[in-house]
Amino acid sequence: MRESIIMKIHYGTALAAVALVAVHILMRLTQGFAESLEYDSVITNYKFLPYAGMLEIILILLSIHGFNGLRVILLELKQGKTYEKAVSYGCVVAMIALIGYGTRTIIMVNTGMT
Amino acid sequence: MTNQDENKEGIGGMINPRRYGIERVAYLLMRLSGLGLLAYFIGHIYETSTILKGQIGWNEFLALTQTNAGHAILAIVIAMCVFHTVNGIRVMLGHGGVGVGKPARPDYPYIPASQNIRHKMGIYSAIILAAIAMMYGLAVMFGE
Repeated sequence: MRESIIMKIHYGTALAAVALVAVHILMRLTQGFAESLEYDSVITNYKFLPYAGMLEIILILLSIHGFNGLRVILLELKQGKTYEKAVSYGCVVAMIALIGYGTRTIIMVNTGMT
Repeated sequence: MTNQDENKEGIGGMINPRRYGIERVAYLLMRLSGLGLLAYFIGHIYETSTILKGQIGWNEFLALTQTNAGHAILAIVIAMCVFHTVNGIRVMLGHGGVGVGKPARPDYPYIPASQNIRHKMGIYSAIILAAIAMMYGLAVMFGE
């Protein structure tokens, strides 16, 4: 994929994540900060499908943005065909692994498998 | 080829904030905050997965974060998040050609048009907003 397209994705995921993370943080502040982190409150949040869906979208957006950012930093440090491929594929694998792990949590709690 | 390699400063050159003014500091802070936020994000995904261990597992892990050190780390995360967001928007606008000035003939003392007061104000605003957000976060966390 062309770097110009990757950077557009990078910026797009950033803007979308800013909006959704703001909602995620505001949800913590609608109750007291400590109460919002209580077990029952968190479970209720996960079981509310629109909120769980938003968490999944945030997970995907931030994983793409974060690991692409890491890839950019690593490519600024060193260049070379093998190195660049290793970094790019490594970041994609790490991104997929993190999305998979986070999605597992969201699905299991949302469906009551706790 | 050997000379070229010797002239490469590597990570030391990348993180050196003493040259090129506030723009270089912003460049460094952007990368540091990005790496910090990625580390926090991975930790946060792991932290939230402890809810699968039931109420006891969740409370045990939550207790680790509800300490003075945990609150201080979260305050730093808030600051990194705000700086990364505000400075990121500045960078995006700059890449889009907003606020970078008009192209002109390079004359002595060769000050780049893009490194102007608007972008410098953007960087300083990002730092000030990050500090304010961090203070607010500390007030919320320690105020309870």
